[in-house]
Amino acid sequence: MIKRIKSLRDFGSIDRESRRIRFDFILFFLVLAISSWGVLIIFSATRETLPGGVSDPQYYLKRQLIWLGVGIVIFIAIQFINYRKIQRYWWLVLAAGIFSLIAVLLFGYEVHGSKGWIDLKFTTIQPSEFSKIFMVVALSAIMSKWRSEKVSSVTFRKVVISTFAALTFVILVLLEPDYGTAIIYFIVFIGLLFVSGANFLYLLSILGLTAGGFFLALNAGFIKQYQLDRILIFLKPDISSIEGAGYNLYQSKLAIGSGGLLGKGLFLGTQTNLNYVPEQHTDFIFSVIGEEMGFVGAVLVILILGVIVWRCFYIASNSSDTFAMLLASGVGFIILSQVVINIGMTIGIMPIIGIPLPFLSSGGSSLISMFLGIALVENVYVWREVRKSHEIAYQEFK
Amino acid sequence: MGLNIKIRFKIILYLLAIIALVLMLRLYFLQVMSGELYAEMASENISREKTILAPRGNIYDRNGKLLVKSIPVKAVAIEPLIVSENEDVMMTLSECLNMPYEDIREKVEQSNLSYIDRLILKTDINTPTMIYLKENSSKLPGVEVIDLYLREYNFGFLASHLIGYTGEIDEERLKSERYSMDYEGGDQIGLTGLEEAYENLLRGKKGKIIYEVDPLGRPVSILEETDPISGSDLYLTIDIDLQRFVEETLYQSILEVRQKKISGTNEYYKVPGGAVIVLDSRNGQILSMASYPTYDPELFVGGISEKDYAELKDPENHSPLINRAVMSFPPGSAIKIVPAYAGLAEGIISERGGLYCAGAWTGLGENFIKYCWQRGGHGSLDIRGAIKNSCDIYFYQVGYGLFLKNDNMEELLQQYLRTFGFDSTTGIDLPNEDAGLVPDKEWKKDYFKDQPGYDIWFPGDTVNMAIGQGDLLVTPLQLAQAYSILANRGLKYQPHLVKEIKDSEGNLFLDSSGNEYQDLNLDEYFIDIIEDGMVQVVSPGGTAAGTFWDFPLNEIPIAGKTGTAEFFGKQDYAWFASYAPVGNPRYVVVAMFEEAGSGGSNVAPLIEKIYRYLFNIE
Repeated sequence: MIKRIKSLRDFGSIDRESRRIRFDFILFFLVLAISSWGVLIIFSATRETLPGGVSDPQYYLKRQLIWLGVGIVIFIAIQFINYRKIQRYWWLVLAAGIFSLIAVLLFGYEVHGSKGWIDLKFTTIQPSEFSKIFMVVALSAIMSKWRSEKVSSVTFRKVVISTFAALTFVILVLLEPDYGTAIIYFIVFIGLLFVSGANFLYLLSILGLTAGGFFLALNAGFIKQYQLDRILIFLKPDISSIEGAGYNLYQSKLAIGSGGLLGKGLFLGTQTNLNYVPEQHTDFIFSVIGEEMGFVGAVLVILILGVIVWRCFYIASNSSDTFAMLLASGVGFIILSQVVINIGMTIGIMPIIGIPLPFLSSGGSSLISMFLGIALVENVYVWREVRKSHEIAYQEFK
Repeated sequence: MGLNIKIRFKIILYLLAIIALVLMLRLYFLQVMSGELYAEMASENISREKTILAPRGNIYDRNGKLLVKSIPVKAVAIEPLIVSENEDVMMTLSECLNMPYEDIREKVEQSNLSYIDRLILKTDINTPTMIYLKENSSKLPGVEVIDLYLREYNFGFLASHLIGYTGEIDEERLKSERYSMDYEGGDQIGLTGLEEAYENLLRGKKGKIIYEVDPLGRPVSILEETDPISGSDLYLTIDIDLQRFVEETLYQSILEVRQKKISGTNEYYKVPGGAVIVLDSRNGQILSMASYPTYDPELFVGGISEKDYAELKDPENHSPLINRAVMSFPPGSAIKIVPAYAGLAEGIISERGGLYCAGAWTGLGENFIKYCWQRGGHGSLDIRGAIKNSCDIYFYQVGYGLFLKNDNMEELLQQYLRTFGFDSTTGIDLPNEDAGLVPDKEWKKDYFKDQPGYDIWFPGDTVNMAIGQGDLLVTPLQLAQAYSILANRGLKYQPHLVKEIKDSEGNLFLDSSGNEYQDLNLDEYFIDIIEDGMVQVVSPGGTAAGTFWDFPLNEIPIAGKTGTAEFFGKQDYAWFASYAPVGNPRYVVVAMFEEAGSGGSNVAPLIEKIYRYLFNIE
């Protein structure tokens, strides 16, 4: 008995035999909760200071709400497509990712010295955010393509091809240049190789080659010493440099530290209201949470994000096939790496790298691509049982 | 899914848990353990404190005449730390304040090196400059226009030594214990005189405004505001009209003495300086205190120029900043009232008993002949005559008698000198009062510890001290106090300059016009005898008779004593100490001229003029 989803009534793919709804509510509701919380925090971070010269105190609130709505619609829409169909057209996704990154190099405009944005007149988009998801889809497909019965047989050929695919993405992003996003791409690629079962020898050689390349770039002057200093300023905790990255870090630590156990209360953060932490509605949104909601609020955010990441890997480890496993893991790695680097940066234990905090930072591209990623993870869960209960179904989809 | 993959997912799960734990621990450290520290840093981060200076208290004379007041001016204050890194700011300041760029740079860098938080670059700027600086404040970080209070002197240089002057606090004071509370760079403080002595009352209490500022340092709102409290007002014991008369007369008298030649030579008296004290003997109030040469305190307002200061410090100008009324000098015969009292009290001499003066005295041995100032000798003298003629030989014998008593175990002469207030400060409300010196065995031993043989107290030391010579040093104020003790028959009042202090709301909280005194339990009869001698000093035949010949002594009897002290390498120091009217004493008047010869002929005329003024005699 093959069950096909044709209408919204069938949404959630009810297993007739077990009478259970195959839909991970935990994941969905946590994502909804953290994103809504993000909207509130963004409002708090922008209502007094109005970055970008806007005059409406609710400008950022309204925008984020619209994107949240768009995200939810995309999330639901994705559930109607079996991920196996996406797997079949992986090369289209790969092409979309690469072309969007090329387009931004050609038609994009610069923000903070990085050419990462395309102006679509009614809104702007950041292709490198969406390309994260595209890259995960493409790599998952490549790595699972030459699937054999023995899962651990990740061949040299597979590694080389996936490395070239990943390298294409990383280099295109580096050209913008957007070092932060490039680092995320790299971590996600390594993570995918890891869960794909690749031999540690491959992993170590890729890491080694990367390190070598990095020092070469440093010596050849592609990476300037001051850029390195800026990134590594967190290693000198006593420096409260008045300008530059040290200033951001100092102000962020002051805001978070001064929040104490319970925080100063929503909308009551003094550092936040006076806009002391630069980029407090985007990359440094966590400082607002730390200041206004204190240790309790900050830990709750970490726990929610942690559970979301855990659900991604849980769904991955319980998925029906290698592509699904890699897809869900890839999204998990995206969220995990961004959360660790972003929060770590605001509390001074990670380098200052400009990447958004998933679901919380203001910005449509980030939020919608995160919803896209979670939608795919959910999709893996929703369409999992179909194959498990009905072996034939899988064949049919093939 | 292979086992290998399952293990890899397990590794990821553990990694996830460890990462979450690390983030939470770090947050625990930041927010819970260091939360209070960061909260404090954060509130400092967003607030800026601005001090509002308090007007300094006024100074009035005893009749309520305003002597010194505070006037508000606009001043340019800078934060050296910020400005030292910004050449453009220094250039702009140089241009609009019309100051050389190098001067500004040097000042700023020096202050920055000494960690001074605020520097007053220029005081009393005009309105266009102020408006320019305020309008361009965004281009001038670390520069501020502040309200500052400066002194204005209604009576010019009058009483400048006792009032003192104010100025910007220096680095050394800023770091000292006394100025640890509530002082900051650029503050105007009392540097000398009463301004210094009553600094904590005159300065009032600063107010402050705490602003909340945005990241660019622009004020957003006022968090806290405290109004300043004006300093308290001082009401002095000084009568400014008398002060004017005394200072002018002192100056004229010194000019007159400078016209005189030392008898028998072609040398003029130098008279580099002098001092006068007029004291109310009934309560210790100082009615006038003058010191010559003097200075104009106006020079110090808003910071004295280096050239002016160098001039004031130049030895050629005889240190006009020094208040000679509280500096110590050899007293000469003016001290003789103390050995006279000691001799009577210790039975060395008696009222009627006479001693013989042959002009020379060999009491200490043939090798140590000592002479009287009157080489011809005074013949036989009793105590009254000895004071009248200021006979040295009489007092040598008194000194020697005091020395011999009990083998000088008790150092009787020194004891009596200390009883009369010498060898210690009077405790007048002025800083830097000199204690003078009454030498004794112990002092000599310490002073000559490197010259064996010289460290022994000789009888000649006591003998010399009995006529005010040797190493004895007294201040004009101490001498005035000693004479007022005689005038009061043993009652010792604390000399003082401030009569009343009123706080900014006019409430009286210090009134020193009360009659607190210490009874020294002196024998009034002995004092009567000494007073008789002192009355004769100004009477025909006395050492100051020539000056007082047309003074109505029968109406206003005066008791006085001259003094002429020898000082190695200098001309004689001239003194006259007195009180009047005898019988009902009211005023003690003491004057000292440096290097001016005889007290009787050169200082007494000034005293006579002051008495004429005090008693309204034409």
